[in-house]
Amino acid sequence: MIEVEGLTKSFGGLTAIDNVYLKFKKRELSSIIGPNGAGKTTLFNLITGHLSPDQGKIIFNGRDITNLPPHEISRVGIGRSFQRQNIFPRLSTFENIQIALFSAKHINGKLFSQAKNMLRDETDEILESVGLTDKKLMQAGYLAYGDQKRLEIGIALAIEPQLLLLDEPTAGMSPRETIEITKLIKKLVKKRGLTLIFIEHDMDIVFGISEKVKVMHQGRIIFEGTPKQVKANAEVQKIYLGKDKK
Amino acid sequence: MREIIQEFFKKTLTLRLFWLSTAVILLFILPLFISTAYISLISEMLIMALAGCALNLMMGYTGMVSFGPAGLYAVGAYTTALLLKKTGIPFAATMVAGPIMAGLVGAVVGWFCVRRTAVYFALLTLAFAQIIWTIFFEWYDFTGGDDGTVGFRKPELLLSINSSYYFILLIVIICLILLWIIVNSPFGKTLQAIRENPVRTEFIGVNVKRYQLYAFIISSLFLGAAGSLFAVFSGSVFPDYAHWIKSTDMIVICLLGGMYNFLGPVIGSAVYIFLSKLISGYTMYWMLFLGIIVVFLVLFMRNGIAGFISHKIAPLIQENKETEK
Ligand SMILES: Nc1ncnc2c1ncn2[C@@H]1O[C@H](COP(=O)(O)OP(=O)(O)O)[C@@H](O)[C@H]1O
Ligand SMILES: [Mg+2]
Repeated sequence: MIEVEGLTKSFGGLTAIDNVYLKFKKRELSSIIGPNGAGKTTLFNLITGHLSPDQGKIIFNGRDITNLPPHEISRVGIGRSFQRQNIFPRLSTFENIQIALFSAKHINGKLFSQAKNMLRDETDEILESVGLTDKKLMQAGYLAYGDQKRLEIGIALAIEPQLLLLDEPTAGMSPRETIEITKLIKKLVKKRGLTLIFIEHDMDIVFGISEKVKVMHQGRIIFEGTPKQVKANAEVQKIYLGKDKK
Repeated sequence: MREIIQEFFKKTLTLRLFWLSTAVILLFILPLFISTAYISLISEMLIMALAGCALNLMMGYTGMVSFGPAGLYAVGAYTTALLLKKTGIPFAATMVAGPIMAGLVGAVVGWFCVRRTAVYFALLTLAFAQIIWTIFFEWYDFTGGDDGTVGFRKPELLLSINSSYYFILLIVIICLILLWIIVNSPFGKTLQAIRENPVRTEFIGVNVKRYQLYAFIISSLFLGAAGSLFAVFSGSVFPDYAHWIKSTDMIVICLLGGMYNFLGPVIGSAVYIFLSKLISGYTMYWMLFLGIIVVFLVLFMRNGIAGFISHKIAPLIQENKETEK
């Protein structure tokens, strides 16, 4: 479904992504793990067109999408969430989702029809699926942190993607919330038949949700395998034990 | 269309629309009670209210702070004035040509401006407005330079202050309704998403620059409409209509009334113009007072008068209602 070939990106002297080759199959639940600063977010930024690569190609469903602008990449079916919460704070929770749906349905250019009741059922359905129904009239900026993360996922789902890229969707959450959210994501992705790539720096979180794990370190993919294989791999353990002294 | 009408009637039942219709009716019968001096003051308030709301589509709704709205306002004013002076085309056509010309100029100016953000965007809009000002000022043979374009024909219907007041009132109301429909449409909601978070909006598949340009053009159209109205209201047009001081007036009107409220600029315009006439009638220190108003607004009333009412006063009324239940 999506392939990354020889992707490279430097910031000044720092090579954040270093000649990366990756392949993700349709409907696969994968994750990319790696310590902070490994280049995971940068990889997402390259895939979604937020940054353009120095070298390499990104192929989505057989189409070269390298260097397309973000709004076009969203339209080919790639939805993403952001590491730091990225919502529309002074709009209501409902509107946050609704506006994303307007875009997905190509009606956000409509000038003379009233938005208020448009796509109400679809919006409610997404709100329901991320568990925000009872907060739909709240201003999104006033939602609790965890709810904002849920809303982010909702927005990403609303554009009806085939591929969903989630950047540390559980960062900063309590362990209980983390378990809830990962379960929720897994359920939604399975139900909608999506392909998922999930970024996480905490190894333990991903094992519950992923079928495949890719380990990134200093801009390179150093290991790929099932969660079990990753756990057993000595090099991966060394990076984590060496770096993650929390 | 049916939805809009249904929506309209549903809203009529709410209190807000009750007050709004009362205000509109009051505006219509006002000339029966007050002198023409006040009628002409209110005409001016109405025109600046429209200019403020037009600017606010860009500023309050899309999050693009323009320092040059007066440039587009002046394009509308000059277009109508020059057509009335130099051609024989019907009056209605000159009133339509103003906004259209402003929209076209807005499309060109906007095309450059939306390529930059924040302070660079603001600077570009200011620079373009000053270019427009210079053209009107220097092109003496065509525009009359700093003598302005004066002495153009006016339809007989608009010769009296009261009848031109009704004309202005009608056009302003129509324009405000159109703007209201636009800001509540999917398009308007998308603009608000851009204001809130342009990066995120890009990632829900919206071509942000293009939508910003559309907002710029629509805003220019309505600024031009306000300019055309002012041209026929005052019977003369001067380069200073494009001056940054005029732009500042419009920005302060939005800030004073409240950027995050549709009718904010209407309130802002009424209060601002009233104060400006009051103060400049007594002293020469209007600029000083203007400075104080701006400082006060920015420090203490970030959401303007409308924001103050809806955040501080409305909750008190709401509470009463709830305890009644
Ligand atoms: N826009 C940028 N400009 C400069 N350096 C950046 C930028 N984005 C990321 N980096 C650097 O690239 C490296 C990888 O960052 P990132 O992809 O955010 O890591 P991760 O998400 O794995 O924690 C870091 O050293 C970071 O400082
Ligand atoms: Mg990151």
